[in-house]
Amino acid sequence: MVPPVQVSPLIKTARWSALLIGLLYGKQRYDYLKPIAAEERRIEEEEKKLREERERIYKQLSEANSDTILK
Amino acid sequence: MAQAVQKLVAKVPTLVGAAVTYSKPRLATFWYYARVELVPPSPAEIPKAISGFQDLLKGFQSGRLGQTTVRDALRNGLVATEVLMWFYIGEIIGKRGIVGYDV
Repeated sequence: MVPPVQVSPLIKTARWSALLIGLLYGKQRYDYLKPIAAEERRIEEEEKKLREERERIYKQLSEANSDTILK
Repeated sequence: MAQAVQKLVAKVPTLVGAAVTYSKPRLATFWYYARVELVPPSPAEIPKAISGFQDLLKGFQSGRLGQTTVRDALRNGLVATEVLMWFYIGEIIGKRGIVGYDV
């Protein structure tokens, strides 16, 4: 087998520090995005409730107004 | 249906054994290379890394880097890309998901 090559220390430090920085960056960005996503979900829930309420009212009104003999 | 499941369950130890026999020598080769090439730098190597980086900067300032052959430049570009990919692997580990942030 080919003997393993001796990697230069610059490359080794660069690799592992890139790994560390990536880890910290990923963790930080995740912690930043998590509350924003929770907030968006909450707002979406509330708007959905409002929308469904409005649709219900609209449907009721349209059913009440669509009295025809052809029902 | 139940018989097929039973036969499959009976086969699992053989499959696991076969997987282990297949992967053992490959794992050994991987370990053989990784123990020398992929280890993190020891504390004694960090000043060498810093001096290497300074050499790079001096080479850039003195214009020596303009003399690199295309072949060397491509090789160094490949090495730099590999170092960059380690950043993204670190990000994957940090955000605990492979594609996208699971918020």
